[in-house]
Amino acid sequence: MNRLGAVLIVIVALCAVGLPFFLKPFGVYLISMWVVLTIAAIGLNLTLGYAGQVSLAQGAFVGIGAYAAALLMQAGWPYPAAFVSAGLLCFAVGWILGYPALRVQHHYLAFVTLAFTTLVFLVLRNEEWLTHGIYGIGSIARPTLFGWSTNNPRAFYFFSLGMLTLLAAGTWWMLRSPWGRAFVALRENSVRALSLGLDTRRYTLMAFAIGSMLGGLSGALYAPLVQFIEPNSFALGLSFNLLLMVIVGGSGKFFGPFLGALIAVLLPEWMRIAEGYYLITYAALIMVMMAFCPYGVLGMVERALKAAAVRRDPPMPAVHGEATGS
Amino acid sequence: MSAVLQVSDLRKSFGGITAVDGVSFEVRDGEILGIIGPNGSGKSTLFNCVLGQLSPNSGEVRVDGKVTTGMRPCDINRLGVSRTFQLLQVFPQLSVRDNLILAGQEHQGSMYSRLIGRADAGLGDAADQMIEFFRLSHLSGEQAGSLSYGQQKLLDAAMAFMAGPRLVLLDEPAGGVNLTMLGLLRERLQAYHAEHKATFVVIEHQMEFVMALCTRVLVLAEGRLIADGMPADIRRNPAVIAAYLGHGMANA
Repeated sequence: MNRLGAVLIVIVALCAVGLPFFLKPFGVYLISMWVVLTIAAIGLNLTLGYAGQVSLAQGAFVGIGAYAAALLMQAGWPYPAAFVSAGLLCFAVGWILGYPALRVQHHYLAFVTLAFTTLVFLVLRNEEWLTHGIYGIGSIARPTLFGWSTNNPRAFYFFSLGMLTLLAAGTWWMLRSPWGRAFVALRENSVRALSLGLDTRRYTLMAFAIGSMLGGLSGALYAPLVQFIEPNSFALGLSFNLLLMVIVGGSGKFFGPFLGALIAVLLPEWMRIAEGYYLITYAALIMVMMAFCPYGVLGMVERALKAAAVRRDPPMPAVHGEATGS
Repeated sequence: MSAVLQVSDLRKSFGGITAVDGVSFEVRDGEILGIIGPNGSGKSTLFNCVLGQLSPNSGEVRVDGKVTTGMRPCDINRLGVSRTFQLLQVFPQLSVRDNLILAGQEHQGSMYSRLIGRADAGLGDAADQMIEFFRLSHLSGEQAGSLSYGQQKLLDAAMAFMAGPRLVLLDEPAGGVNLTMLGLLRERLQAYHAEHKATFVVIEHQMEFVMALCTRVLVLAEGRLIADGMPADIRRNPAVIAAYLGHGMANA
């Protein structure tokens, strides 16, 4: 991490803490949504961006987490227990969903996970005895933690921001450990990784399970944020939206999901000045962005910085008899 | 000398084609064994069966007397058998140093201990030494994908040595490498062999490379072993010359 990066992180952190004091409640709600969906996007970035396992199921895990937390709280569980259980449940389900990834990859895997998302949606809609079907679950309470009520929007925002900080720090730790290197190896060349002693099966399942767990924890925050959940929120649209966040931000870059979620949550709102055309404008902007920076916004920034560094400090000429190449 | 690797009556067929047809041989401790043969003679399939990447139809493989047939490649690797591939296989987005650390990290402790342990798994110094040994120091922090082909071949070989293996299987290490780099690669392999008393098995087409490097040579043709001997004898073996006719063996 260079100095520029450290300075940027401090500035962003200060903004994240100061911003809610200058925003109306709807603004606070929007940045809370950014925080909550960033957690899910970090999870997908782990599964897809680092470990290279295409998943269109992240929205389903947000749904499973949201429903699990809401139902457990209705059953009288304290929020922390419901939160942790939602995460563990998604870890287990994610582990199981990882098995197809041991056999199929890329767009085949995308279809497997897409089918899973549809399945989860059908369960949420049709199993009324458990999920209340299309009527959804309403009046989900925001938690009170150690006497601190998170009921007002700003308090809940800070609670979510704290959870994001913890989970992001944990993910950062994992990615800088040998596991991070192993996940990238899995993405780049799993056959070679296997021949170097990597238990690729276990790492693949872990990548799915941990990514899904982050989706579930995001859902467990989503439920008390919106206070009313229903199956349509967790249909394919959300999974595609999360995929968009990861790709637009910069897949396989640690801060990609933060930026991607910011763009996907706030851009459509800013586009409301275009009134009736706001979603069309948003869609057009996304297409332009993908055409000009296919490696995401952070990928583009990284390339620009690298190009600037090369101009300042040209690399050494070829060495060791490699001048002619081979 | 004891046998590091014992292969007995190994068979592997794909549909109607028998790629490896009852091959048996031993690799002795400390030798550099070459395996040569025309294209399609079953060399790479043999490697893949030995290393668990393919499961043979029949036959048995033992490493230090332990049966490894049916084991997964990662478990065989952790017994101390490493390899390089015929087509270049490094991790292009990882740095040279991270490629090497990755090649050793799974041999340290358990998967979960690595999660809480040091970022370089305690292998930073070993990686730097290996980088130095293969003359790649000036490229240590570069992404492996930005290296020239020859440099990547060196890195590929270095990765195979990173975990201090008992046995290294090199699949066409010289393929596509220019002459200067080839000299460096051969010299480094010999230096490693001398320093660590490691055992190598090398598949190679480049005759000069094989003759200079190997202490014993096996010849495969159509999935069968047709010769086994010292490099000089192999060169004169009529069956080998016949199998290689049109492949430039006579004037190698």
